[in-house]
Amino acid sequence: MLLSTAVAAASTSARADEAKGASPIRVVRLPSPSSPLITIRLVFQAGASDDEPGKEGLANLTAAMLGEGGTLKRTWSEVLDALYPMAADIQYYGDKDTFVFAGTVHRDNLQAFASLLAEQILTPRFSVEDFTRLKQDALDSITKTLRGNDDEDLGKQALATMLYRGHPYGYPTAGTVAGLSAITLDDVKRFYAQHFTRERLILGVAGGYPEAFPDTYAARLAGLPAVGKPRAKLAPPPAREGMEFLLVEKPAHGSAISIGHAIDVTRADDDFYPLAVAASYLGEHRTFTGILMLSMRQKRGLNYGDYTYVENFIQDGWSTFPQPNMPRRQQHFEIWLRPVPPASAGFAIREAIYETDKFIREGVPAAGFEATRAFLLNYINLWAQDGSRRLGYAIDAVIYGKDVIAELKARLPKMTKEDVDRAVHKHLSTKKLAVAVVGDGLKALAEALSAGKPTPLVYDTKDTPADVVQEDKIIEAYPLPVSHFNLKIVSANSLFEK
Amino acid sequence: MQGCAASKPISRGAPVTAQAKAFPFPTTEKTLPSGLRVFVVEYDSPGLVAYYSIVRTGSRNEVEPGRSGFAHFFEHMMFRGTAQFPTEKYNAAIKAMGADSNAFTSDDMTVYHILAGAQALPTIVTIEADRFQHLEYAEAEFQKEARAVLGEYNKGASDPLQPMVEALYDHAFQNHTYKHTTIGFLRDIEDMPNQFAYSRQFFDRYYRPDNTILLIVGDVTADKVLPLIEEHYGAWSTGPARPTIPVEPPQTREQRATVPWKGASLPMLFIGYHAPAFSTTNIDSAALEVLAELVFAERSPLFRRLVLDEQKVEHIDGSVERHVDPNLFNILARVKQGNDVPYVEKAIYDEIARVAAQGTDDKTLAEVVSRTRYAFAGHLSTADRVALVGSEFLALTGKLSTIDDTFALLAQVTVADVKRVAAKYFTPQNRTVVVLEPGEQ
Repeated sequence: MLLSTAVAAASTSARADEAKGASPIRVVRLPSPSSPLITIRLVFQAGASDDEPGKEGLANLTAAMLGEGGTLKRTWSEVLDALYPMAADIQYYGDKDTFVFAGTVHRDNLQAFASLLAEQILTPRFSVEDFTRLKQDALDSITKTLRGNDDEDLGKQALATMLYRGHPYGYPTAGTVAGLSAITLDDVKRFYAQHFTRERLILGVAGGYPEAFPDTYAARLAGLPAVGKPRAKLAPPPAREGMEFLLVEKPAHGSAISIGHAIDVTRADDDFYPLAVAASYLGEHRTFTGILMLSMRQKRGLNYGDYTYVENFIQDGWSTFPQPNMPRRQQHFEIWLRPVPPASAGFAIREAIYETDKFIREGVPAAGFEATRAFLLNYINLWAQDGSRRLGYAIDAVIYGKDVIAELKARLPKMTKEDVDRAVHKHLSTKKLAVAVVGDGLKALAEALSAGKPTPLVYDTKDTPADVVQEDKIIEAYPLPVSHFNLKIVSANSLFEK
Repeated sequence: MQGCAASKPISRGAPVTAQAKAFPFPTTEKTLPSGLRVFVVEYDSPGLVAYYSIVRTGSRNEVEPGRSGFAHFFEHMMFRGTAQFPTEKYNAAIKAMGADSNAFTSDDMTVYHILAGAQALPTIVTIEADRFQHLEYAEAEFQKEARAVLGEYNKGASDPLQPMVEALYDHAFQNHTYKHTTIGFLRDIEDMPNQFAYSRQFFDRYYRPDNTILLIVGDVTADKVLPLIEEHYGAWSTGPARPTIPVEPPQTREQRATVPWKGASLPMLFIGYHAPAFSTTNIDSAALEVLAELVFAERSPLFRRLVLDEQKVEHIDGSVERHVDPNLFNILARVKQGNDVPYVEKAIYDEIARVAAQGTDDKTLAEVVSRTRYAFAGHLSTADRVALVGSEFLALTGKLSTIDDTFALLAQVTVADVKRVAAKYFTPQNRTVVVLEPGEQ
C-alpha cells in the first residue's frame, strides 16, 4: 500500500521524538514500508519574524543561500548536476515563523539525496556569487514581480501592511527594498549561525525508508549548533479601532481585493475549529458552494472567485489545499475577492462586507451549518493524500500542539451551530476591517466611498432576477465608514520600500 | 466489449528502470456501444476515488471566427445544472460528499474531475452522467457565467505571460486554431453573453459519448463501477459530425512581436519553434524532449552561463508540450536588464547550434532518460495525480498504453537523433519571437 493504514494512524497521533544522544532535534517518522518514495522535510522554526530591524529579508536570503546556493564541497551548479539524475529537487520555502527544506526521492536515491541535503544545511558555501545572484533575485521579486506581475498577491501583501503595521508580519517574507539593500554576506553568515540550530529544527521522514534512517540522519544533522539566538516573543498586531482602506494604484485590467483583520486564534486554540467551519461556510478556498461565491460569482457574474480564511493561506502548487509547514504564531481573518471589473470594485467591497455582516449578525443557518459540517468531515480526508503532505501536517501538529485534521475529525461531530455563532461573535467583526484594492484609476472609487455615494453594479447581462436586483439596491449604498482619515491611495511602486 | 486488463503491476519497491512499466497499475478498459470508453485503474488509495470525465475537445476545436475561448467557457456552463439536478442540488450533492471538484480546459481537452470518498461513487456516476446528457440552463445564467469568465481573464491579465502567450501563438499560427489561447481573445470573451444559441450547438456537437472518456482511479474495482456506468450512461447517443481542424502550412519566415507592459516587470523573451504533434512512434517527438533537457535544464551549460555565471537571466526554460496537432517548442527567459535581451537571444541560438553540431555524450543522454523516468514515477503518488496524468494521454491518444509507449520511444533516442532535430526544427524561418518591454524597469 502506498499510504498504509499504519501511516494514517501515525499521522493522526504524530509526536516528535528527540533523536538519540545530546541532540535536541525533534524527529517525526511516518513509515510506509511498501512505498518506493521517501520524503524528507527539515522545518526550522526561524522565519521573517526573526529579521533584524533594518535588514528585512535577511531570514529569507539566508534560507535561499542554503536552498539555492553551493556547499563547501560543491558550487550550486555542481549541486544541480548531482541532483539531476535523481529527478529530485531541494524545495525550499518559508514564511514568517518557519523555513522548510524538503524533497521526495525514489528509495534508489535516498542516501545520495539525503547526503546532499545535509551538506547544504550543514556546510553552506556562502559564496559572493550566490549572494549577489540571490539578493538581486529577492529585490526583483519585490520591485518587478510582486509590484507588476501578480495583482492578487500584491493585494494580499498590501493587506498585510495594514494588519501588521510595525510588526514583523507586515512586509513580504522576501523583505523590503531598503532592508535587502542593507544586507551583507556577513549578516547572512551571522543569521545562519544564530538561527539554523538543532533547537529550532524538526526533521520529518515519510515513506519507505530503512528503519534506522531517521536516527542516523538526525545524528548527522547534529553538526548544527545546539542552540542560538533565543526566539523573540512576538508582539500582538496593532489594535484597529475602525476600518482602513489602502488603494494601490497601478496599470491593471481588473481590481484585486483583499479584506481582513487580525484574530487572536490559531490552530492551537479551541475557537479555531468553529471559526474554520464559519470560513468554510462563507467561502471555502476554490470551491463553488461558499456564500460569497454563490452571491458574487454565480448570481451576479462579478468575478472568478470569492473565498474566506481564518488563517494565512498559501495554496500548495496547483492543488486546492494549503501548503503545509507555514504555521504562524498569529493569524488573521481574510476575505479574498478575485479581480472584478474596475467599475464594480465599490459594489464588490460592499457586497463582501454586507454578506459578512449578515453572517455575523444572524449566525450560520442551521441547514448551512449541518451541510458545512458534513462537507468538512469528508473534505479533510483529502488534505493529506501523499506521504509528503501527511508529513507536513504531522510536523504542523508538533508546532501547534494540535493536529488540525485529527482535531476536526474529533470535534466536528460534537460541534453545534451555537459554537460557531459564539466564536464568530467573539472573533470576527466588520467594524475593524482593513481593505486593500489593487487596480487602475482608483481615485474615482476613493471619492465615491469617501462621499458615501452609492456604488451600483451595472449589468451588461439580461434578466437578473428581481430579488437580486432588489438586494443590489441595499448593497450599493451599504454604509461604510470611509473618510480621508482612513483611506489612502498609493502607487504600487511605493510599497515595500522599507 | 470487455476490455483487456493490463499486465500485473510491478512491485512498489522495484527500482525505476527502462524496462519497468511507467504506468504499472491494474487497468480495465471497456467501450460501451455508444462509443463511450471507460478506464478503471485500481490504485492503492484507501477510501478515495478520482473520477475524471475527459472530453476530447479544447480550444483547438474552436473553428468558427469569434468563438475563441468557447470550450473553456462551456466548461463553466457544465456546472449550471440540469432538470434533475439544478445548480443548487448539484452543488449540495458535491458538498455532501466533501469532494474536491473542478474542471480545466486546454488546447486539446476539457477535463472534469471529482476527488471524493469511494462510498460516494454511485452519486458521482449519477450526477456526472446526468449533466453530460441533460445539461440545461437559462440565458440569464449563461450571461452571468460569461462574466465570470471575463473575471478569469482579468485574473490572468496582471501576469505578462498572458499577453505574451497570446502574441506568440497569434503570430506563429495563421490557419490552425492553436492561433488563439485557451482563454481566448478578449474581444471574443466580451462578446460571450451573446452566444447562447451557439452554446447549445457546442454541447450538441462535442459532449457526446464517442468524444468522451471516463477514467476512474483509486479504491475501485471494475466489476463494481462498470454496471453503474452502463446503467447511467447507457442511453447517451452519438451526435452530428464534428468540424475538421484547419491544417497549418509550414512557416516560411521568422515572426517577431513586442508586447508593451505598462507596469513593473522584468523584461522577458519568449521564443516558439514549430514542432511535431505528440506521437509514440515519431522519434522526433522524443528527441525534442531530450533536447529540451540538454539545453535548458538547470544543469545545462546555458543555464550555468546565463543564470549562474553571468547572472543576466533570472530564469530560463524550454519545453515541448504534448499536443494533438503540431504545436510549438517554447523557450522563456526572464532577463534582468532590457538591454541584455539581444545577448540572451543570441546565446540561446548559439547553444542550440552547438548541440546540433556536437550533440552530447551517451552518459548525459542516459541521465536524461533516467531523470525523466524517475520524475514521472514521482508524479504518480496519489490517485488524483495518476488520473491527471492518465487523462492527458487519454485525451491525446485514447489509450493509456501510450504512456509506456512514450517511455519506450524515449529510451530509443540516440545522440544522432538529438543532433538531427536540433538542426531540423531550430531554424530562423521556423521561429516566432516575442519580447516583453516593460514601461518601468
